[in-house]
Amino acid sequence: MNTHKSEKFHAKTETVGSVCTVYLTGELDLSVAPDFRLVMEPLVGDTGLDLVINLKDLKYIDSTGIGILLSILKARHGMDVKFTVADVPPQIQKLFDMTGISKFFASQENSH
Amino acid sequence: MSDDIQRVVLQLPASAEYVDIVRLNLYGIASKMGFTYEDIEDMKVAVSEACNNSVLYAYGQADGMVDVIFEVGSSVLSITVKDEGESFDGLDASGERLTLHDKELNDVQVGGLGFYLMQALMDDVSVVSESGKGTVVTLTKRLNFSEEKV
Repeated sequence: MNTHKSEKFHAKTETVGSVCTVYLTGELDLSVAPDFRLVMEPLVGDTGLDLVINLKDLKYIDSTGIGILLSILKARHGMDVKFTVADVPPQIQKLFDMTGISKFFASQENSH
Repeated sequence: MSDDIQRVVLQLPASAEYVDIVRLNLYGIASKMGFTYEDIEDMKVAVSEACNNSVLYAYGQADGMVDVIFEVGSSVLSITVKDEGESFDGLDASGERLTLHDKELNDVQVGGLGFYLMQALMDDVSVVSESGKGTVVTLTKRLNFSEEKV
């Protein structure tokens, strides 16, 4: 069922060399969480890639979306491979800071 | 007059597909009241988390409804999210804050952030969950006037 979201969620993947960037657009909430997981699943386990999620055009994220980012962080950390988020909008950065997920992104950036 | 409270009531299927409709209505009501962009964004997150809880935990696989009641005062907005499903056991109404700040990545549990976000983003949060009778979450935000009202 399509409720014609004004900010429909979309994920676009772009790989340049060994860097894979996933660009997110629209609203990442409970209703599109399965779509997002599906896009990320094959990428998360690929140890040959540096994985980047670009949030520049992400308008909204809920705790489900933050939870998925957290499980990607855990999985990539466990395999000792790189995972970063880029271009985080201020409103989303605020939620990352509030929940405490920011420090994990920061430590990922510093550890490589 | 200033004590007048007007109610806007939405009833929706307890389905993730409809949570964005709640956000759209919230945006309309809150912007009309004069809330700032930042306050509206905060409320969008908090109200969505309350709806997510009803969608995820209230009715299991069965169909159910969620009532969202906006109570518009002259300087305060209360949003009540109400379901009639199972109560949400994981919800700690004592206000324990489940954040990641003092945790290592290996110790982190995915989930449990929604209730924390509601508390952090609203002025008041009340959760009444009664076994077999459903859950009522009421979220309140006050308008902050930077200057005295004329």
